[in-house]
Amino acid sequence: MSSIRSLRLPAALPGFQRAEGGRVVAGVAAGIGESLAVDATLVRLTFAFLSFASGAGIVAYLGLWSFMPAPGVSESSRKRRIAGAVLLVWAGVLALRGLGLADPFVWMLALMGAGLVIGTGAQTFGLSERRAHVAAIVLIVAGIVVFVGDNNSWNASTFLPPGAVAVALILVLAPFGWRLVRERNAERAARIREQERTEMAARVHDSVLQTLTLIQKEPGDARRLARRQERELRAWLYPDSEQAAEGALGAALEAAAAEVEELHGARVEVVRSGDAALDERLSALVLAAREAMTNAARHAGVEEISVFLDAGETNVSVYVRDRGAGFDPEAVAADRRGLADSIRGRMERVGGSARIVSAPGEGTEVELEVPR
Amino acid sequence: MTPLRRVVLVDDHDLFRAGVRAGLGPAVEVVGEAGTVADAVPLIKELDPDVVLLDVHLPDGGGQAVIVQVAPERPGVKFLALSVSDAAEDVIGVIRAGARGYVTKAISGEELTEAVHRVADGDAVFSPRLAGFVLDAFRGEEVSGTGDPELDQLTAREREVLQLIARGYTYKEIASRLYLSPRTVESHVSAVLRKLQLSNRNELTRWAAERRLI
Repeated sequence: MSSIRSLRLPAALPGFQRAEGGRVVAGVAAGIGESLAVDATLVRLTFAFLSFASGAGIVAYLGLWSFMPAPGVSESSRKRRIAGAVLLVWAGVLALRGLGLADPFVWMLALMGAGLVIGTGAQTFGLSERRAHVAAIVLIVAGIVVFVGDNNSWNASTFLPPGAVAVALILVLAPFGWRLVRERNAERAARIREQERTEMAARVHDSVLQTLTLIQKEPGDARRLARRQERELRAWLYPDSEQAAEGALGAALEAAAAEVEELHGARVEVVRSGDAALDERLSALVLAAREAMTNAARHAGVEEISVFLDAGETNVSVYVRDRGAGFDPEAVAADRRGLADSIRGRMERVGGSARIVSAPGEGTEVELEVPR
Repeated sequence: MTPLRRVVLVDDHDLFRAGVRAGLGPAVEVVGEAGTVADAVPLIKELDPDVVLLDVHLPDGGGQAVIVQVAPERPGVKFLALSVSDAAEDVIGVIRAGARGYVTKAISGEELTEAVHRVADGDAVFSPRLAGFVLDAFRGEEVSGTGDPELDQLTAREREVLQLIARGYTYKEIASRLYLSPRTVESHVSAVLRKLQLSNRNELTRWAAERRLI
C-alpha cells in the first residue's frame, strides 16, 4: 500500500516533513529546504514572491503546512491532506492568474489539475478508486467545458467556473464529510452508552449493593429488605408510561402497598387493570385500601396479600384479599374505628361503598368501589 | 395418583434453576436444563418433555425464540412462562408465541408444581398479573376492523373469571363462588388463552408488532 502511495500523489512531495529545527513559522519552508537540499531562505523568498500573485504564496504555504506531516510523523491525517490539496489547487489558480493568464484558461488548468490529482491519489483522499476516477473525469470535463464555453462566448464563464469548483469541492469533500458525520455519530453513541453504563453502575451501587450489605449485617431483615429492593428496581426498570399520561391512582396504590409491606412485613401483590387520574375521591379510595391492607397484614397472619385495582369506565374498584384467619364481620364491635371509619366511613363520604366478605378461617376480602 | 411429568428448565440463572428444582414436587422430574436459547432448542427437541418452564428473558433472544423454534417440530411440548418481568408486552408476547400460561418467579414450589400439571393436562395457567394484563388488553368495545368479533371480545363470564383470578382467587375458589365446576372454570380460562393468542385486536396487535411476532 505504501509503495502505491509513494508512486502517486505524495511522490510530488518526496519525503517532505515539516522541520523542527531552524523554523520561522511552522517549519514548512525549512522542511522543503531540507528535503531539496537548498537554503531555507531561498524557499521563503519563493513564498514571499508568490504572495504578490493575489496572495498565492500565503495560500500555498498554508496548503503545504496542512499537507506535510509534522516532524517525526510519516504522514499527516487524511483531513489535513485533503485540506492541503484544496489549498494548493487554490494557490495554483491564484499564481496562474498572477501570471496574467486569462481566467477561463486558468480555471481549465486548475480543474484539470485537480482532476488529475484526485484521479491518481484515491488513497491519499480516502476515496475508492471508482469514486476518484469519476471525480477526476467530472473535473477534467468541467475544465474543458469552462474553456471551450468561454471561447464560444457563451458567457458561461461567469457562472460555470464557480459552479464547477463547487461541484469539484463537493465531490472531493462529500465522502470525507460523510465519514466525519458517521464517525461523530458512532462516537456519540459510544459516549451515550458509556454514560448509561455509568448511571447503571451508580444505581446498582446505591441500591442493590447497599441492600446486600445491609442483609449481610442483619440477616433477620433479609426478606423485607429484599422486597423493598425489588420494588425499587422494578419501578426503575419498568417505568409506567400509562401513569404519566393518565394520572397516578395505580402508582398511589402501589406506594400504599409498599408502605404496608415496609411496616408489617407481609408481601402485598398489586395487580392493575386500567388507571385513573388521582382526585379527592380516588385518594380516599387509596387510603381506605391502605387501611384494608394494614388490617390484613396485622390480623390475618398471612405472608401474602392480593390487591387488584380495576379502573373501569363507570367505576373504580379495589379488592384487598388475604387467605388468613378471617373473622365474623357481624361480631365486630360497631365502634371499631379501623373498619367503621377508615374504610366504610371514608368510602361513603365520597359516594362510594365498601363491602367486607369474611368468615373465620376463610380469609377476608374487602371490596371498595367509587363511581367515576 | 398424578402421572409423572418430565420437565425441562430454561433460565439463565443457575441459582434460580436450583431453587425451582428443589421446590418442585415429587411428581415432577426435571430431565434437562438450559441457560440459553441456543442450548435449549436442541435439548428440548431431543428430550421431548411434557412441559418446558421458560424464562421470558434469555440472553440470546428470549423465551419466545425458544417456542418459535421448537413448537413446529414438537407440538406436544407445553410451555409455561416464568418471569420476574412486569412489562405487559413481554408477557403477552410470549403467550402469543404459544406459551400455555405465565407465572411470576415469586410463586411457591407447591403452586408451581400444580401449574406444571395443569399445563401438562392442556389447560391454561393465569397468574393474577397476567389476568390483569388481559383485562387491560380486552378493555372497552374497541375492535379492529378486520378482526373476528368472536375472538376480539371476552364474554361476560370470561371477564368475571379473569377478575377473580386478578383478585387472587384460585380456580377452585372461583368455581365455588360462581357455582361452576372447576372444569368449567378451566375451559373459560383456556378460551381466554385462545383469544389472547389468535385475536387481532388492536391492542394485542400493537404488542405483537412491537415484539416482531407478526
